Amino acid sequence: MSRKSTIPSIQLGDYIVIQRQKYTKLQKFGSLDASATLGKEHLELKSLLDQPYGSTFKMCVKESKAGKRGAQRQHTLELVSENELRSIRDVLNISSSGADNRDIRDNGEAQALKSEDIEQLREACNESSKIIEKLVENSKTFHTRTEYSQDKYLLKKEKKYFEFVQIRQPTIRLMADIFHRQDAEKIMGIRVDTLSQIISYSGVSGFGSYLLYESGTNGLLPAAMLNSIGADTDATLVHMHPGNVPQKQALLALKLPLEQQQRCISVNLYSVLREFYQGDKVDATIPTAAEDDATQTDNNMTTEEQTDEVEPTTKKLKLDQSPNCKQFVYAKLPLRWQLENKRASALMHQKFDNLVVAAKEHPSNIVQALLPLVKPSRPIVIFSTCKELLQETYMELKASGKVTNLHVTSNWLRTYQILPNRTHPEVNMNGNSGYLLTGYTLS
Amino acid sequence: MSFLKPKTHIEQGDVVILYLSVNSMHAIEAVPTIVNKKGETIVNIFQTPYGSLKVQNIIGVEYGSRVELSKGYAHVLQPNPELWTQTLPHRTQIIYTPDISMILHQLEVRPGAVVVESGTGSGSLSHYFLRALKPTGRLHTFDFHEARAEQAREEFQRHGLGDFVTVYHRDVCNLGFTSELDGVADAVFLDLPAPDLAVPHAFKALKLSGGRFCSFSPCIEQSQRCINVLTQLGFNEICSMEVLQQESIIKTRTMPVIDLEFLKAPKDAAAEPNSNEDTKTKEPKEIKKYLTSSHPQLLPGHTGFLTFATLPPNIPKA
Repeated sequence: MSRKSTIPSIQLGDYIVIQRQKYTKLQKFGSLDASATLGKEHLELKSLLDQPYGSTFKMCVKESKAGKRGAQRQHTLELVSENELRSIRDVLNISSSGADNRDIRDNGEAQALKSEDIEQLREACNESSKIIEKLVENSKTFHTRTEYSQDKYLLKKEKKYFEFVQIRQPTIRLMADIFHRQDAEKIMGIRVDTLSQIISYSGVSGFGSYLLYESGTNGLLPAAMLNSIGADTDATLVHMHPGNVPQKQALLALKLPLEQQQRCISVNLYSVLREFYQGDKVDATIPTAAEDDATQTDNNMTTEEQTDEVEPTTKKLKLDQSPNCKQFVYAKLPLRWQLENKRASALMHQKFDNLVVAAKEHPSNIVQALLPLVKPSRPIVIFSTCKELLQETYMELKASGKVTNLHVTSNWLRTYQILPNRTHPEVNMNGNSGYLLTGYTLS
Repeated sequence: MSFLKPKTHIEQGDVVILYLSVNSMHAIEAVPTIVNKKGETIVNIFQTPYGSLKVQNIIGVEYGSRVELSKGYAHVLQPNPELWTQTLPHRTQIIYTPDISMILHQLEVRPGAVVVESGTGSGSLSHYFLRALKPTGRLHTFDFHEARAEQAREEFQRHGLGDFVTVYHRDVCNLGFTSELDGVADAVFLDLPAPDLAVPHAFKALKLSGGRFCSFSPCIEQSQRCINVLTQLGFNEICSMEVLQQESIIKTRTMPVIDLEFLKAPKDAAAEPNSNEDTKTKEPKEIKKYLTSSHPQLLPGHTGFLTFATLPPNIPKA
């Protein structure tokens, strides 16, 4: 959602969302030579530069190579105006249809065109409507199908041959959808309804200081929280993670203003807690600190490349699992991660206005460690894919008396097909929303 | 003022959530005196099942503290939209957190957003919109009921949210969202008996650069009509869904485990010399402890259908 009325334009270095009908994909537009792959189609992205977001482009076949599983096609993209996109039914001017399917037999003879013919057709015509027109012409049964069945047929064919893509600016909504569809495990299975509720129950907004621990959501959770914190506000987010490098793809894709990005302080859980409890002592006793410094310096240098990757990654190199690597002698200048630890530690001393935990580990110890950093009367939200882990945490928190109004919840999310005379819930639904444990801290 | 930002201590005039138990919460105003029905100023005493609370005593107390009642205790919490939704005075039916969260997510509301809402109702959703869009955005909220609009306006002011909201008393189905709001909104939300009548007005209110739309309706026919109009006007990404939240009740249960093995042996086998000891050791029945979770008997089975749509950029509105 752009706050200015002018629409931002596509720039080099941006993450973009490529949409072809209902399929969406997050892609980095890193250079003019960059290309994107949608199934068998390869798209050259060059012509997107400086075009406004939301524009539609036509895929024009540049060359076609025979591959193992059908032709691989290389396309250039051409800007088109919206009114070139019309309903396929109107374009084809279809009038007659049958009443029911009593005369339709599935004998494989309905389509007179062979698959080779269709492949040729595909290279000859640039427009899906022409291909579909030919398919309809050569279908013996099309006109005896019911109007609804025709619609379904046309939609199916259109999906296959559709030659337009739309380029959109990444938002939390679009990314949550893409990540969950591509590989839900990489965002710990956090479904859209659950994500939306984490944001609500945690109360994250333009005022306050917030605390998040997450062990790998491709940056989706910190990005969603930072998005709710907003530009030009005072709120801050301390983002704790278990690895050497935070996953930041979603954060980078949002292209937030620098001042807003800087209000998300990403720190390693172990090293920031050490800084918080031992502070200056850590600096004085270099040998003990060196064990995690060594791995951290290495990894901070490669941050840029790693976060530039487009496919969701779950990079996780745990520090304290390799305790015997303390030979590294480092320069005395404070490194970026050390400064971030100091900033985070200062905020930890002032305490936070919420706590959000989405852990692959058992949440219990993490919550125990972080709960004292939260002010009283503040929301806590703990996410887990397994109810059992939250049951235990629930009991521990209840027994501690430090948290009240405890609830464990999950959701049903049903989407509906709403069409004249064809309204029903979608045939498939996702049955795994994950679980949330919510409550309020007490003094 | 207790809704504006996180705060640590109760000040006079704050709305405070008096938390007694999961099923018993009250929103009270932290004022030492109130005016009774006879027009007399009296000391503000709040009655609960656990006894009374002299409200004056909570002023200056830290949020999250325990406060003593005459026959028990309670906790005082700072209100937020979630707690407010559970305690607010109902003037209409309201939408609850699971649906609201989805609405905020799908409408992409964040600080700086301009949101148009109709109807205001009891202001449950409005509080969420305001939390999400303040301090740089603005909410325009409409209700055709004059008293409700007035009450909502007062309430937002009292809650410290007045600077971010304009409340209108207006019938938007017939009159639209006023011409001043043409092309200013990032998102429009409708909760109306006939949303289809207001969709053309929503279309006008959305920015030329596009925006998001949502309609909440309990009945599918309303959604159908609404989608019809949306399609005609060039909205895309039209999608309808429902979100239902289930609570899990967590309990430790102790289960007796019964032994049926002894039935396999004839009874007189128990008359062996050492049988007395045997029966004695078996007597304390085996008991196992389990941490269990179950769903409550009664769950919300339907709230409403949420219909979302996108207005793509540069659709001429003339």
